[in-house]
Amino acid sequence: MIPFDYHRATDVEDAVRTATSRPDATYLAGGTNLVDHLRLGITSPSLLVDVSRLPFDDIDPLPDGGVRVGAGVRNSDLAAHPTIRRDYPMLAAALLAGASWQLRNLATTGGNLLQRTRCAYFQNPATPCNKREPGSGCSALAGWQRHHAILGASEHCVAVHPSDMAVPLAALDATVRLTGAHGDRGVPLTAFHRLPGDEPRRDTVLEHGELITAVDLPRLPPTTRSAYRKVRDRASYAFALVSVAAALTVTDGVVRDVRIALGGVAHKPWRATRAEETLRGADARPASFRAAAEAELAEAEPLPGSAFKTTMAREALVSVLTGLAEEGAR
Amino acid sequence: MTVEVNGRSLDGPTRPGQCLRTYLRERGLLGVRKGCDAGDCGACTVHVDGVPVHSCVFPAFRAVGRRVTTIEGLARDGHPHPVQRRFLDAQGFQCGFCTPGFVMTAAGLDTAAGLAGTPPEELRRLFKGNLCRCTGYRAIEDALRGVRHVEHPQAGTAVGRSPGAPAGPGIVTGTARYTLDLDVPGLLHMKLLRSPHAHARVLAIDTHEALRVPGVRLVLTHKDAPPRLYSSALHESVDDDPADTRLLDDVVRHVGQRVAAVVADTVSAAEEGCRRLAVTYEVLPAVTDPEAATAPGAPVVHDKDPVTSRIARPRDNVVAELHAGVGDVDAGLRSADAVYENTFHTRRVQHASLETHGAIGWLDADPATGAERLVIRSSTQAPFLTRRALCALFDLPPDRVRVVTALLGGGFGGKQEMLVEDVVALAVLRSRAPVSLEFTRAEQFTAATTRHPFTVTVTAGARHDGTLTALKLHVVADTGAYGNHGPGVLLHGCGESVALYRCPNKRTDARSVYTHTVPSGAFRGYGLGQVTFAVESALDELARRLRLDPLTLRERNLIRPGDDLVAPGDTEHDLHLGGYGLDQCLRVVRAAGSSPAEPAPPGWLVGDGAAVAMIATIPPRGHLADAALTLLPDGTFALAVGTAEFGNGTTTVHRQIAATALGTTVDRVTVHQSDTALVGHDTGAFGSTGTVVAGAAVLRAARALVDTLLDAAATFHALDRARCRLTDGAVVCAGDRVPLEGLHAAALAAGTSLTATGHSRGTPRSVSFNAHWFRVAVNPDTGEIRILRSVHAADAGTVVNPLQCRGQVEGGVAQALGATRSEEIRLDPTGAVTTTALRGYRIPTFADTPRTEVHFAVTTDDLGPFGAKSMSESPFVPVAPAFANAVRDATGVRFTTLPLTPDRVWSGLRDQGR
Repeated sequence: MIPFDYHRATDVEDAVRTATSRPDATYLAGGTNLVDHLRLGITSPSLLVDVSRLPFDDIDPLPDGGVRVGAGVRNSDLAAHPTIRRDYPMLAAALLAGASWQLRNLATTGGNLLQRTRCAYFQNPATPCNKREPGSGCSALAGWQRHHAILGASEHCVAVHPSDMAVPLAALDATVRLTGAHGDRGVPLTAFHRLPGDEPRRDTVLEHGELITAVDLPRLPPTTRSAYRKVRDRASYAFALVSVAAALTVTDGVVRDVRIALGGVAHKPWRATRAEETLRGADARPASFRAAAEAELAEAEPLPGSAFKTTMAREALVSVLTGLAEEGAR
Repeated sequence: MTVEVNGRSLDGPTRPGQCLRTYLRERGLLGVRKGCDAGDCGACTVHVDGVPVHSCVFPAFRAVGRRVTTIEGLARDGHPHPVQRRFLDAQGFQCGFCTPGFVMTAAGLDTAAGLAGTPPEELRRLFKGNLCRCTGYRAIEDALRGVRHVEHPQAGTAVGRSPGAPAGPGIVTGTARYTLDLDVPGLLHMKLLRSPHAHARVLAIDTHEALRVPGVRLVLTHKDAPPRLYSSALHESVDDDPADTRLLDDVVRHVGQRVAAVVADTVSAAEEGCRRLAVTYEVLPAVTDPEAATAPGAPVVHDKDPVTSRIARPRDNVVAELHAGVGDVDAGLRSADAVYENTFHTRRVQHASLETHGAIGWLDADPATGAERLVIRSSTQAPFLTRRALCALFDLPPDRVRVVTALLGGGFGGKQEMLVEDVVALAVLRSRAPVSLEFTRAEQFTAATTRHPFTVTVTAGARHDGTLTALKLHVVADTGAYGNHGPGVLLHGCGESVALYRCPNKRTDARSVYTHTVPSGAFRGYGLGQVTFAVESALDELARRLRLDPLTLRERNLIRPGDDLVAPGDTEHDLHLGGYGLDQCLRVVRAAGSSPAEPAPPGWLVGDGAAVAMIATIPPRGHLADAALTLLPDGTFALAVGTAEFGNGTTTVHRQIAATALGTTVDRVTVHQSDTALVGHDTGAFGSTGTVVAGAAVLRAARALVDTLLDAAATFHALDRARCRLTDGAVVCAGDRVPLEGLHAAALAAGTSLTATGHSRGTPRSVSFNAHWFRVAVNPDTGEIRILRSVHAADAGTVVNPLQCRGQVEGGVAQALGATRSEEIRLDPTGAVTTTALRGYRIPTFADTPRTEVHFAVTTDDLGPFGAKSMSESPFVPVAPAFANAVRDATGVRFTTLPLTPDRVWSGLRDQGR
């Protein structure tokens, strides 16, 4: 590990001011991802600004019926919260599908969104990687590809975002609350993470020194049913090959509203807008779900080693939507 | 700035970058284990403010002002925590390295009522942050649920019962001590610089900058290393392996090979020293594929003399080969009604024992002679062979070197290898200071050994009735950059896998090939897993071509009592059917197949599959063991054995054997083990020999001691020797009773001690049998596979300890399922290992592992102690083919490459046009 400075932020202003003052400073929250990366030599900030004791630990109702989740809320606490379990079951399911109990006890809401990719080449400083070392090349293009993107990738990077939690948040139209040197702002979660383009180094639209303070969840209609499904290599403790978060509102056999996001397929949680458009107003039948999945995945451009994920994503999506429709019909 | 740990305030600042685990271990809380350093394995789990966390990713400074509880602080008022009690009662462990983590995770739950009623799904979710490599999780689940398995057999009846492991109380309380759990004052730390190139000549190493790093004491390069070549593999016969390895070489042959060693006051100074070493390489052409390595003009991995190096054909990159046959295979194939041929591939997999390789070395004075002695405490399965190798390397006589093995945190063959002791010994001899080396988890993946990847082409022919007419193998094994275990794994792999079948015409053409990749080595099954996958898959397919039930085809051809065991090229003649329970194993498997189908998800395809396997109970060409039993003043016994305990349970078994022969209870026998200062010789804890070889030596020592005690009683107390017999705690003779305490005192007064020794040479050898059966469901759209039922039948002869033997089977099945379904060491085009963490190298978790029904054949062996056979490697062997055969039954697709990941299954189904 390379030596670094450490500063425990006393309040939000202190955190932002300190982090902004040094170009390679980074925030430390739960540390489950960052501590590992410091050890592996993936990143070597000269200053860590510890935000774990800032007052972002609450889950509060919002006036419009939604919920505000503080950035410091632990994944385990969020998954166990009665409101989350009742109103956002797919979020609770996604949290429980990710990491282990011990890690969820440390990992925070904000930190979860800022997880870096588990691409094996990104995690190995001995191999070229445009995300870790811009311009060095992408090892995955000629390498092991089964964990890589099928949607929205670029010639510079085919990595996928690893978060389970972010997938239902994308489907839910959550908003990420930020504070920085230029004030506060809210960014829709679907616009928070970036596609790699020609700047794969940047995972998100965060400016340097900007800090996540909360994530806002909008209210869902009470008739909405939601689910999270994760397909992976072993039954637990593995990142998704493909995951699906879906919320479905059906009345009289017709899809009134639907929100779908896919995980494990792109550099960001992939909001399946084409599938949603295809489905709105359609009959809630497997054939519609299949057509919607195919519409979404028509633009998939897998690598040879990730071709299976297109089918896997389609079948997982059809299966989840069919299950939700059947559940609603009972 | 204090941290409250187990109710006490610990002072002393945390260091920058220090994790809580290191902080706690440096303060003597050694039950907090280091398994991965990345939050993957859970062995370091502690509570912070009552909540379980991985202490390896928890910055130590964050614990300031918080309440930390470790395994050592879990007991209350001298009473173990209920979870600790349950782990002891169920024996929810084998090597025990992961146990404190499991216990702490469980203790973080509300366990007042235990987890007896917790749904399986919930348990699997809660424990996904804890990995176990030994047990297959069944014993852990039983512990969590409060099931009692451990028995307390009466005097003289321990064999066949299930007393607990002697190390158990230490394991569940965190006081058990593994290799590096030792506080040595003035300890220096070593880090190794490793090669970034697959093949290169080291032209120069500039050490100046490294030596200027504060705290760096010593830098070792090839210029410091003895010129001698040896093999890292450990075998009774040194000639079994090629001499192709140098302690530090001026040629590197795989990415990750050691180039130099830096010894410093701290680990971080040693790391910094490694970064400051400037190495000039001449990069040479490399070959990473075994087929390419044997093509004309391929780069030569070891340009050495074939006679002195014992490499079969160095210029062709062939370390060992076998070309042999019996009968006429071509004629056999011509006379067949159906012939099946296919090529099967197994990949690199790794032991992934939770304790990485490590050693501590120091100099002391021999207590007997006062002469200076090199002491190495290391994670080896073979301390005596390690001593012999060190003596040869450094020109030292045996009495100047002592090698000690503490408890081992898993081995599985990976520690039948000298990967750390040689370089630590060199550093100790040079620095004259104590030196420690511990592999990181990444080093374990990139620089320890793996299972040999095999490519096996099987050609099998049979008549309409299923009678085999020909069985032909063409085998290429990839031994990697060094030939350690290359010849042995190849020959063993091609041995029992075909000797299992009566077939008049057999032919094997096999070679083990060098490539510029991480070296392969010994791993559970020793080649049999790879070849059996091919043979058992091929026979399943051959039966289908003949429209025969696959089990019927096997029954028609499997060896029976009275048959010779015939494998082409096998020159050993000491292998016998000492007992025969294969028929019983087949009956178990057949009954499983005719049971009602388990429910599968709608739309999933369901299939059944089985496979059988045979393994010699002892490796060929000698496996030696000494044991010594001594009566102690208090009337109990001290048993000394050379073999090491790595969770395989030999300590328990040895105690049972000795106690039974001595007519006493196991608690009156204390075992001392795995220390070259204890007994004359022991080949080591490998080759499944703990029960059948070391156990045989123990039995002989015990029987000899009975005679000695009766003689002593007759002599010292003037009794009729013919009427004396040994009971629990005393020699009785008609109406006289001589307590053993009194006997010891009488002997002491006469100037003698009551000791006896036993020896075993490991020959003749018997065979064990295993059969496995699966029912699986396959999702045709995603390639996901679910195991609906898993059944294993084993012929272990007399089962000395049913609890432990069942655990060996469950653990072997789980480990094999990892290799079958999800584990693969991946290399990039340069041959560098890219799976360098447990999160990417997917060993089975709790949730992945089905509960396997284990059945033992009722047999007894003519050769083993109390009729026992070995049962530690063999359960691994039939699992992969049984699984692939079940998937074939479900899908119609024959999968020939492991592991059967969802994408590989999906691709296979797609290619077949489903």
